[in-house]
Amino acid sequence: MENPLSEKFGIGPFFSNFGTAVARGDWSVKLSLLWMGAGYARRKQYVKALIMTALEVGAVLFTIFFAMQYVPKFGTLGTVQAEQVFNMETMKTEWNDYDNSFMILLFSLFSFVVWFAFIAVWMKNVVNVYRLQLRAEAGQHVNTFVEDLRSYLDEKFHITLLTLPVLGAAVFTVVPILLLILVAFTNYDQQHMPPTNLFSWVGLSNFITLLGGGDSLTMGFGYAFVRILGWTLVWSLFATLTTYIGGILMSLLLNSKLVRARKLWRTLFMVTIAVPQFVSLLLMRNFFSNTGIANTICANIGLTGFLRDVGAISTTYIPFLSAPGWAHVMIILINIWIGIPYQMLIATGVLMNLPADQLESARIDGANPYQTFRHITMPYMLFVTGPALVTDFVKNINNFNVIYLLTEDVYTTTNQVMANAQAKEVDLLVTWLFRLTQDYYNYKMASVIGIMVFIVCAVFTLIAFNRMTKGDKEGVYQ
Amino acid sequence: MKLKKILALVLAAVMTLALAACGGGNTPSNDSSTPSQSGNNDADAPASGSDSSGSGETISLALWGGEEDQDLLAGRVEAFKAAYPDQTFDIRVGVESESTAKDTILTDIETAADVFAFADDQLADLVDAGALLSIDSMDQPIQAYAGKSVADIKAANVPVSVEAATYNGTMYAFPATADNGYFLYYDSTRITPDQAKSWDTLLDAAQAAGSKVGMTLASGWYLASFFYGAGFTTGRNEDGTTTMDWNGTSPSGVTGVQVVQAMQKIASHPAFLPVTDGDSSNQIAAGNVCAIVSGTWDSISCSEAFGDGYAATKLPTYMAGDKEVQSGSVAGCKLMGVNAYSKNSGWAVLLAEFLTNEESQIARFEQREAGPSNINAQSSDAVKANVAQAALGAQSGFSVIQKVGGKYWDPSKSFGEQIAQGTIATDDASVQTALDDLVAGVTAPLG
Repeated sequence: MENPLSEKFGIGPFFSNFGTAVARGDWSVKLSLLWMGAGYARRKQYVKALIMTALEVGAVLFTIFFAMQYVPKFGTLGTVQAEQVFNMETMKTEWNDYDNSFMILLFSLFSFVVWFAFIAVWMKNVVNVYRLQLRAEAGQHVNTFVEDLRSYLDEKFHITLLTLPVLGAAVFTVVPILLLILVAFTNYDQQHMPPTNLFSWVGLSNFITLLGGGDSLTMGFGYAFVRILGWTLVWSLFATLTTYIGGILMSLLLNSKLVRARKLWRTLFMVTIAVPQFVSLLLMRNFFSNTGIANTICANIGLTGFLRDVGAISTTYIPFLSAPGWAHVMIILINIWIGIPYQMLIATGVLMNLPADQLESARIDGANPYQTFRHITMPYMLFVTGPALVTDFVKNINNFNVIYLLTEDVYTTTNQVMANAQAKEVDLLVTWLFRLTQDYYNYKMASVIGIMVFIVCAVFTLIAFNRMTKGDKEGVYQ
Repeated sequence: MKLKKILALVLAAVMTLALAACGGGNTPSNDSSTPSQSGNNDADAPASGSDSSGSGETISLALWGGEEDQDLLAGRVEAFKAAYPDQTFDIRVGVESESTAKDTILTDIETAADVFAFADDQLADLVDAGALLSIDSMDQPIQAYAGKSVADIKAANVPVSVEAATYNGTMYAFPATADNGYFLYYDSTRITPDQAKSWDTLLDAAQAAGSKVGMTLASGWYLASFFYGAGFTTGRNEDGTTTMDWNGTSPSGVTGVQVVQAMQKIASHPAFLPVTDGDSSNQIAAGNVCAIVSGTWDSISCSEAFGDGYAATKLPTYMAGDKEVQSGSVAGCKLMGVNAYSKNSGWAVLLAEFLTNEESQIARFEQREAGPSNINAQSSDAVKANVAQAALGAQSGFSVIQKVGGKYWDPSKSFGEQIAQGTIATDDASVQTALDDLVAGVTAPLG
């Protein structure tokens, strides 16, 4: 007998299988729509029937006792304001049964995720029961519970292994991301902070605030967003390229037979990795602060005076980290110092695997070192480290440490519109987001920016990986 | 072998301790610091008798105060327990700086401490978020247990400190100190008291001495000094927005443009050092300045750096147009508030009251040199003899309570930085435009 169920994976086959199972199943399959254990009970798989029944009961209890407290309020995110009365007898404050918008949002979302998972299991259950019916009708062996269990250690072992990671990803990644997305559509900010105040849905207005443009002094978010996005991309590009190229050049230099005490040099460069960034960056920040060592030296050798005379600066110090332009360049330079050793390590590893025969033949053909680098070393490096380069770029978009530690408390914007949006010229999207939540409790705008960061990262990753994996790259490199 | 076992045991014990410390809940940083533990150990001393409140249960309270106040608070907590011997307490003291209390509390009000110290500029935000219990509404328990009324407490503290603890006509916290303002420290070996009277002579004297005068400009708190002095004001509306008149003309006939031009003149003086907010102690210790605008928190670093020349006075005057204007300042107070979501709000109020009463304020001055807000405590000879307190007193006639909304801080900070960096042209039109931009940003609606 031909199998009416599709064995393909995917959403389409899943639903069509469910339809087939419901349409063609016998009474026990159809009863499984209501009582999830029915089909198993009919095939004498009593343990499974019990488990499914328990699951069903659990889902119903969860719905009644947990979800129903929150989900009905999901549309309004709560209406009962907190009110208090002091009780002189107990010396305690007594509260009414007030709504907490955030809890409603979070637990409703959690309920939706649970329901979604339950419905998937429920549909899958019907298909499984139908599959059992087919086996029984074809006179094939129907597994006992012990045999089923054993299969999870055998041919279905991958399922056993993946259960925990998938659950972890769902609870710790999917739920927070969905929560972030939901908050972007609310007015959750300092004026609407639970538990005392309620927040509610506001539709797309936060997105309009951010993307609607306009540089009015009163609402600078659109203005600041464009500039910060621009700097974020410029920074990522420069931070990635400078350290990448610098790292390769440095490792070539340290691999060169002309250099003495190579190990010593390599170790010295590793020291910057050994010192935590938190320490080295804060030190750098102090070196280059308005009254730091760098400024003292520049003032003593007359550089500060010279720059003042030619009109490059208007202050009595060089604003290394406190004026736009200066700070942008300094941040990239300091990042080179911090980033090169990492890239050097990677490049050294790759270069050691450079096919010696190609270098040999290039030498015999009379190629000079530059030509060898340009046509053999570099293409090979790019081929091997291409994906890592893309990852680096995306990582730099979110490079919180360098920007935050170097500029926090030091850099103050002189642009009123930026200041009104609580932004600075040297902010990355992610540091701006951090300060909006940390200092201003502006969770709604931070969520919108978070979504934007996600979109930017996703777009760049997709484009880059698509281009990289297109065609036979190995052939091109050869 | 045996040694190894012992080592393993010790390590396990340390781990458990560390875990226990972490498990302390959402309290910030080192909740398990020594004072809190000493507080715990003594909690079981008095057996709880059935007192007037009729409850024999142990009252658990969490108290947050600045790191440098930990010893003081631990001592006062013991005194509190002794003052209410009929009740058993379990009071934990945690570290939370007064300047950042708001940020930690608003992150999760329901798990924050029952009683916490904070600077008065955070009061409005805390009240708006519903984090503070109204003290006015707690008159009954205070009368029943502490033997005084809220009105008595208001009368016992200087009016400015009560005003700082009041928002929309309701008192939301107990004044703990009245010293959170700024004034001028200077080195009298390099600058004479006369020279310290005006910005012009002060800067010239500093230049002649080869040193500098420091002040934070990139901060709405310090920046306001020049404007408040000239009679300009700020205000906070009920919806949390800010009002500001700095781009106009003040009641005393000074225009905002004249004030900014005076500031530009000061900032561009070679002997002026713009200090980054919070960096003043470093500048003093590094010997970069011979005079600095700062507050009582820098009194120890200044007295160490200036040695015998250590002196303090009110802020200097400046010339706005052809008028001499006395710089104003922001009168700040440290307050002790009670979490509105406290599980034991009654006793929390009594603890906060006790920690800010006359006796506690005197202890606070003796141990921490913090200027009291209590009128009786203020009049003690020790307080009067203190250099920094005297300067604060001299400045107090020109200080105001700063009432601003959340949108005030960033634009004004940026404005101060623009003056510090000299990015605004000094002609009238440019300054007026910059001021208009500042006012537009500060008075913007929230959103």
